[in-house]
Amino acid sequence: MSETKSASLRLLEASEKISQGAEAKIYRTQLHDPVSLSESTTDGDRVLLLKHRFHKQYRHPSLDASLTKSRIAGEARALIKCLRSGVNVPGIRMVDATEGILGIEWIDGKSVRFLLGGGAEDDEEVIEDGDVPEGEDDEAEDEDLLKEYGVSEDALMNMIGTEIAKMHQADTIHGDLTTSNMMLRHPSSPKGLQLVLIDFGLAYMSTLVEDKAVDLYVLERAFSSTHPASEPLFAGVLKAYEKGVGKNWTAISRRLEDVRLRGRKRSMVG
Amino acid sequence: MQTFRYPHFPPELSTVHVALFNTVTNSADIRSRIIRASQLQGPDGDTERNALNFAFIDARLICSLLHLQTAIYQAVLAHAQRSLRTKTVHSEILWALNPTNNASIRRYGVSDTATSLIVVRISSPDLPDVQQLMTSVVSGTLSSLNQLPEITDWGTVKKYHKLNDEPALKAAAKNVTQERIVVNEIVTSTVAMKSVSS
Ligand SMILES: Nc1ncnc2c1ncn2[C@@H]1O[C@H](COP(=O)(O)OP(=O)(O)O)[C@@H](O)[C@H]1O
Ligand SMILES: [Mg+2]
Repeated sequence: MSETKSASLRLLEASEKISQGAEAKIYRTQLHDPVSLSESTTDGDRVLLLKHRFHKQYRHPSLDASLTKSRIAGEARALIKCLRSGVNVPGIRMVDATEGILGIEWIDGKSVRFLLGGGAEDDEEVIEDGDVPEGEDDEAEDEDLLKEYGVSEDALMNMIGTEIAKMHQADTIHGDLTTSNMMLRHPSSPKGLQLVLIDFGLAYMSTLVEDKAVDLYVLERAFSSTHPASEPLFAGVLKAYEKGVGKNWTAISRRLEDVRLRGRKRSMVG
Repeated sequence: MQTFRYPHFPPELSTVHVALFNTVTNSADIRSRIIRASQLQGPDGDTERNALNFAFIDARLICSLLHLQTAIYQAVLAHAQRSLRTKTVHSEILWALNPTNNASIRRYGVSDTATSLIVVRISSPDLPDVQQLMTSVVSGTLSSLNQLPEITDWGTVKKYHKLNDEPALKAAAKNVTQERIVVNEIVTSTVAMKSVSS
């Protein structure tokens, strides 16, 4: 077997590593470099994010390869389903299922977690220092962060609820809704200000009320664990969600109550 | 013509030449030359196949440079991994562009009546006079790739990709610019993921 590096691994080597999670490494890169200065290439089009589901030593190689391949395929399918359904998600730019690499549109913006003053990830090592706020930040500072985007906290919550509602109306369950997995696209970018849902690695299709309610519950927990005084914030999310799902709200909200109760019981026992 | 570099690909696949021709007058001739070349034997056949060693693409079905580049990228990647689904890296571009699995060449390749053609050549960095090679096959006006979105037949693109009833299109229906951004995004993403779409 030849040991020369594959093209995609060589691409990763030439890219800038941004973060390292348990499942994937994240890089920023540029493709389609023109040989001479060209009029027709928009720079923004050429920047992309590469998500590398690297090889897991503890898994059998062929099982690892097929699992990786299906995770990449699953993430890509969830993204295209969302795009067709009008949910704001990153576009897909390249897929190398053999190497476990998914290339998606670079979102020029910040995570909602960051904008709400939740600081850097606790479960991953964030390398890009621009994203890490220095020291403690107070309310006033968060408001300043949002001001740059021209949105209030309430408007942001409204955008989140609206996007999740569209996604659930398309029977797509995100599977890992947190404020880190949503970004606000900067108003100066070509597509304008948008709330963009990201990280569809655990997404799946389902029509079940239970799955949608659990998806919301996961986000509710994420809000309360990373953002102080999150209750009114999350209430704003649900208000917009209710509007977006229309008549489906009754069943989903009832189920959300059940899921909360189950969660509370579990935490009392555990 | 424009040239793009992909230094991480093997040298013979690292350079992509792309040109847009408008007011093309010899599409039917190009098409029949391609068919004949595939049947020609001996050195004459090799010479003719070499002269036609391009992807000829109907420019009306291309939404943007990024859409085109995404199809080219996936084709070159498949070639580098020795997993082409078609005969050559050039025909693989047409395969990648096609949202379904049949009639890639008939739909996305050169038709007898095509007046706007995109010509693509994948090569090593040192293939000389590529533009000359292209203009000796295509009779038409070499144009800037900036013109692509004006040539696009958005109605046919939407039809081939079955976009008309999609919520994303309905949401953007009031605004042509917005709708084109949405169509371009869905179509480009569809091309990028074709290798894993079921
Ligand atoms: N399309 C994108 N554009 C810009 N940054 C992104 C994009 N996707 C992800 N990121 C950043 O990279 C981080 C990790 O990406 P994510 O898809 O959530 O992978 P993980 O499985 O490691 O959580 C995100 O929290 C976000 O800050
Ligand atoms: Mg994440």
